[in-house]
Amino acid sequence: MKFTEIFRFEFRYQWRHTSTWLLFGLFLLFGFLILRMVTLPDGTYLNAPGTIAFFTVFGSVIWVVIGGVVAGDAATRDRQTRMHPLMYTTPVSKLTYLGARFLAALAVNALILLSLFAGCLLSFYGPGAKTQFMGPFRLASYFTNYGFLALPTVVATTAIQFTVAALSGRAIASYVASILILIFSQFGGTTVHYALEWKVLGSLMDLLGTSIVVEMEGWTPIDKNTRLILLEGPWLWNRLLWFGLAAGALAFTYFRFRLGHVIPNTPWTRIFSRRSNPGRSPVLTSPDASDQGNRDTSPINLPNRFRQFGITTDVRQTLAIARTSFGMIARSRGGLTLVALLAIGTGLFAPEYMEWLGVPLLARTEEVLRTLTPALSSFKTQWIIIPFLTIFYAGELVWREREAGLNELSDTTPVREWVLLLGKFLGLSLVIITWVTFLMGAGIINQLVMKYHHFEIGVYLKALFGIQLTNYLLFALLVYAIHILVNQKYIGHMVAIGVYGYILFASMIGLEHNILIYASDPGWSYSDMLGFGPTITPWLWFKFYWVSWAFLLAVIATLFWVRSKEGGLHARFQRAKHRFAAYRPAFWMAVVLVAGSGGFIFYNTNVLNAYLNQADRLLMRAKYERRYGSYWNAPRPVLVRTRLQVELYPDEQKAEIAGTYQLVNRGKVAIDSIHLSTIPQDGIAAVSFNRPAFPMVLDDELGYRIYSLKNPLQPGDSLQMHFKMHIEPRGFSNTGVDASVVANGSHLTSDWMPVIGYQDDRRLRDVRDRSTHGLAPRTERPSLYDVAARNDTRHAEQIDLEAIVGTTRGQIGVAPGALRRTWTKGDRQYFHYATNAPIHNDYAFFSARYAVREAHWIPHSPRSGQTFPNPLPGSQPTVKPVTIQIYYHPDHDANVERMVKSAQASLAYYSREFGLYPYSHFRVLERPGPGRGMHAEPMTIDYQEGYSLMNPRPAGLDLPYHIMAHEVAHQWWGLFLSPAAVEGAGVLVESLATYSAMQVVEETLGYEHLLRYLSQMRLEYEVPRSRAAPPLLRANNQFMNYRKGPFALYVLRKYIGKDRVNDALRRMLRDYTPNPPLPTTLDFYRELQTVTPDSLHVMVHDLFAANTFWELETQRATAKQLKEGTWQVILELEARKMTVDSIGMETNVLMKDWIEIGVYAPTAKDQPSEKVLYLRKHRISTGKQTIILTVPEKPGRAGLDPNHLLIDLNPGNNTKKLKMEGVL
Amino acid sequence: MTLKITNISKTYSTGAVQALKNVTLTIPHGLYGLLGPNGAGKSTLMRILATLQEPDEGTISLEVSSPDSGHVIDVVNQKDEVRQTLGYLPQEFGLYPKVSAESLLDHFAILKGITTRRSRQVVVEALLRQTNLWDVRKQKLGGYSGGMRQRFGVAVALLGNPKLMIVDEPTAGLDPAERVRFLNLLSELGENSVVLLSTHIVEDVSELCTRMAIINKGEIIHEAEPLKAIEGLKGKIWRKIIEKSLLPQVELEHKIISTKLLGGSTVVHVYSGEEPVGFESVPPDLEDVYFSAMAGHYPQRAGLQPK
Repeated sequence: MKFTEIFRFEFRYQWRHTSTWLLFGLFLLFGFLILRMVTLPDGTYLNAPGTIAFFTVFGSVIWVVIGGVVAGDAATRDRQTRMHPLMYTTPVSKLTYLGARFLAALAVNALILLSLFAGCLLSFYGPGAKTQFMGPFRLASYFTNYGFLALPTVVATTAIQFTVAALSGRAIASYVASILILIFSQFGGTTVHYALEWKVLGSLMDLLGTSIVVEMEGWTPIDKNTRLILLEGPWLWNRLLWFGLAAGALAFTYFRFRLGHVIPNTPWTRIFSRRSNPGRSPVLTSPDASDQGNRDTSPINLPNRFRQFGITTDVRQTLAIARTSFGMIARSRGGLTLVALLAIGTGLFAPEYMEWLGVPLLARTEEVLRTLTPALSSFKTQWIIIPFLTIFYAGELVWREREAGLNELSDTTPVREWVLLLGKFLGLSLVIITWVTFLMGAGIINQLVMKYHHFEIGVYLKALFGIQLTNYLLFALLVYAIHILVNQKYIGHMVAIGVYGYILFASMIGLEHNILIYASDPGWSYSDMLGFGPTITPWLWFKFYWVSWAFLLAVIATLFWVRSKEGGLHARFQRAKHRFAAYRPAFWMAVVLVAGSGGFIFYNTNVLNAYLNQADRLLMRAKYERRYGSYWNAPRPVLVRTRLQVELYPDEQKAEIAGTYQLVNRGKVAIDSIHLSTIPQDGIAAVSFNRPAFPMVLDDELGYRIYSLKNPLQPGDSLQMHFKMHIEPRGFSNTGVDASVVANGSHLTSDWMPVIGYQDDRRLRDVRDRSTHGLAPRTERPSLYDVAARNDTRHAEQIDLEAIVGTTRGQIGVAPGALRRTWTKGDRQYFHYATNAPIHNDYAFFSARYAVREAHWIPHSPRSGQTFPNPLPGSQPTVKPVTIQIYYHPDHDANVERMVKSAQASLAYYSREFGLYPYSHFRVLERPGPGRGMHAEPMTIDYQEGYSLMNPRPAGLDLPYHIMAHEVAHQWWGLFLSPAAVEGAGVLVESLATYSAMQVVEETLGYEHLLRYLSQMRLEYEVPRSRAAPPLLRANNQFMNYRKGPFALYVLRKYIGKDRVNDALRRMLRDYTPNPPLPTTLDFYRELQTVTPDSLHVMVHDLFAANTFWELETQRATAKQLKEGTWQVILELEARKMTVDSIGMETNVLMKDWIEIGVYAPTAKDQPSEKVLYLRKHRISTGKQTIILTVPEKPGRAGLDPNHLLIDLNPGNNTKKLKMEGVL
Repeated sequence: MTLKITNISKTYSTGAVQALKNVTLTIPHGLYGLLGPNGAGKSTLMRILATLQEPDEGTISLEVSSPDSGHVIDVVNQKDEVRQTLGYLPQEFGLYPKVSAESLLDHFAILKGITTRRSRQVVVEALLRQTNLWDVRKQKLGGYSGGMRQRFGVAVALLGNPKLMIVDEPTAGLDPAERVRFLNLLSELGENSVVLLSTHIVEDVSELCTRMAIINKGEIIHEAEPLKAIEGLKGKIWRKIIEKSLLPQVELEHKIISTKLLGGSTVVHVYSGEEPVGFESVPPDLEDVYFSAMAGHYPQRAGLQPK
């Protein structure tokens, strides 16, 4: 009876709260809107269980962040209102009191999350629903997601919030508990799971269901549409564990909670800093010392001290308030320790996450800063704790006096409003400065544990105290002002979190202009080569703008600061109006600063530069296609020779280019006009021809020009086109400044140059984008069976290039080709390059203060028995040495020698296996940026600094070596052999380059190293990945190109031998010409079948022409010793093979495949690898089968496909430990 | 030094209670008592004077007379100036529990504009000694008793020798000895300051205040000097001891101003110009003034206002 009454009263009390209704409305709206706004890929339904699960998890995260008020209030209202002496003395048992309060809070919270589902249903079945994206209604989709995802989260979170709030006596503690849950479950769980790879622990820590969302990445569309989240496997244990935690927390509350007088300073209360309102409640715990006699009854005699009120006093008061504010936060347990612990952890665990594909990274400050300086708008970082703590402590500071009941004393002191406001903000700033100092500590600990001892303190100071601190302080002022203006603590927190959410997700709702997103900027980067480079000027301007806003906010907050009993809106406006007189100059100054800096930024981003958001860019591409697409097949001349004079001015970030194109009519009809595609919005200048021509279309906005020739260009005839380009940033745009030409590390690519004819590459690729812009439907890339697409050879055309690169003295300018001459003129240095063999129309110019490592490689004649002619046309088979040049940033010399070795070994191997390297030079150049990969152009490879920062272990995987070998292989695959731009092209470029590089690695570093490489690459199969995919021949993504393709080739090699596979590769090169039709994977498939014995054609089909999965299992494995001393092994196997299509449909295929059976000796302690007793291919069919073998020694382990050649998602059960049976 | 309150009205939007109706008072320096029942509007008036609330209508001015020249502060609109001479002890307040009395008082000293370290040390020590908190100055305020906290509040209010002292029901938490001491202190302070003391305890006023006002339901119903007010009631207060059951009948027949239970019977005071039958005359005290005022036996207070 009492129980129901307490429950009923509490429930109704909460029900009448504004904040409860806000939460209800928010989640209803969230569920409704998000499912109206979202567009889903791959044919998943809006109301599919997978979709609902995703948004349930998303909604739960939001609820955890902002929903703490309910449990906090239920647990502490009696103490906060100081009604507890009345309540605690009623004859109600502790269990009834706590239980009913908790259950009421739980009920409210459960209903709040239920409103999310109501919102979803309204979105699905309300007016205006997108019925075309809806599957059939299924009640279980809602029940399982609510019951197994949302509800357990609510139970555990409410229990923990309730516990922490009840035991500390402060409602706000539940908010802190929420943040801790989020950090623990979300960031802790994800880090433990993925960065540290403790998977079981990680998935148990995950309260909110993030691990399920990640796992769903691996679901096929059919899975997402039908599969329900059920309590099974690790998820069951997860739920049980959190229920256990919840029960434990509640039991702990029950035993620790006292229905009695509140005694200050028990350990629990200190965790969340101050006690509730201890100052107000008449506490009589200490003896009233002054009452023990010794009473002074003499008359009052107050010293009359001089008081003055002026700017000095203002400053001193500001500092005094700052000091006490800082002290309050610093003394609370969470204030400094949370960030400090996180910083220490981030530093100490650095070896666990500072690696790339298993290769440790060099802890240069540039690298370390990447984890320490997330943008304010980034939520995938553990430092998200800083904004959250800022919101929390801003609230605490604003409410400090009022919560202690001290406000009437302090508000009547002669302190100006701005002094109070500034003092507290300074206190908060000091806290943030301390946090940022911890970040720096994290970086230094990180470098120490990574055994890196070159501390660049100056860089830390700039990046952390210059950039990060500015962002955090801007944010702090925003939330501080929000708390002051809202003047209601919990709603203040909700608004602050809402505004933070806006900062985080503004770009996702289509707001991209940095002038609209508080504290944002176009981004910045720091690199060893470039420093902060051109990013710093726009950054400073944007920050100046936002600091002006912050100033304005501060003035407004000062005007509306509540310093009396009058909290009503009307009274506050009256007060503000009155105060305005004193703050008028400050206010108008702030307005002028905001308007001035905003105007300047707008002038830069929208007047000097065209402001284009994502939608604008799509629209431009659509317009380009609509307007000029019809010229796609217009007759056009071919570019055969390019001569360029490139003047780079690194310090001014500008370039002047003068160029001449030699164009030839290779067609059969006369050409009457020349079409040019230029960079949109930029255009080119001074276009002229060596024959009369006049412009017909000059569309610099979309980047298209048509020049009509007075006399048509006859077949076989050629003409010259001259043009000039001026590249110079005009101020800065919303995305900053283009970093092509920079002070050190310029990288100007041929993408800047005009292209002859219409560029089909600019088309919109996404099917939905095309339909919204009214373009004819086209698939993302042409089908493998699109015969017409094979005749498009534009990307395979080759040119000769001659270029003079001018740059400032002290820098080296680089272009493709041999360096003919270099000279100095004034303070400029010139370099003249020319190619000795044709290259793709894909090149770049570099300029930087490089160190150069030069080496040579001397080719031998092609290996004996190799009969096909040198495949590279236009080049004489040279036996001249090839010059290898590595241009690198002087500090980044760690990997230079292995680059040279890899380049030499690769050139030698590929020349021997596939044909001679055609060029006289092979260059590798570093440029600024974090990327770890390399990019290949003819005779030139460039890489970003991130590559230099890989630091392979002495005997570990040498990934830089492998990457280099891969890029060298592109000189054959991709740059010589250009496949048709259809599905599967990536297999002929990337898979073949990787497979070739694997052979170089095997030959130079050994087979063991190759296996290490393969096992690292195989890890990517374990990332949740949908099985639904097209066959490899129609490969359409990076995973298939870089992982699946090379694996398939490796497996085939294991079946038919290295030479046969390489034969097929050689045939591809032998048959290649840049003339139509260009080769596709179908040609390659035919070559593979040619070199493969008939018995294995099925295997080639399974690997390349179907998306095949095997399920291989050794169910029972026994062994017994025979009389003659040999051992008999009996294996009971089960096998199955299936194909999965693009939407996830499985089809069982009858199998009769040759698969390895292996038997291994038991591993002795001193032996590193197992001794192979038996390894031979057997024909394995679908279903169960038994295989009996005899081996000479005592076996330990045996089974099917022990080397994991075939794709089996559960490779662990392929082999089994043998069970010994009695000796015969 | 005079505080002039002119036609102050205040209505709370919640519940539309008119807390103050057209209050006009002139408060000279000295200890001034504001007497009234709970909810009469005392605290509202005090908070308005202490710059924490705004009146809907009316003006308040503080005339500061200094040897050379005087000036007038508009209390409603010149809050900063008021706060520079203000000492305020609210009816109810809290303190930071984890700070010692000495450091919090020092903090307040800075806020009150005593910025040099030396001055602060002197002032803080003097005030802590005056309020008998010197021995416990290092103790955290969270452990203070109600009386100690009240004395700490007094110390804060006294910081910087206020010329306008507003104390809202200060004696509630004090023991009798402390109360006397505190009232003496206020009285002394009143020698050259305006000290406004609100209370519902009649003795607080009768003992030390040179002037007083009685407020009820937002209106000043009587303003006087306590001694003169008592004088004025001479011969108008009559007493009778009756059975409790007879009370309703006596109420019908006489203007009862107060009743007290005394050992099973009821002592009734009535207000009357002539001697009622069966009543005896008693010398009036301030309590009788208060009850008479509450019972509405004073005519228009305007007539009683000092010239």
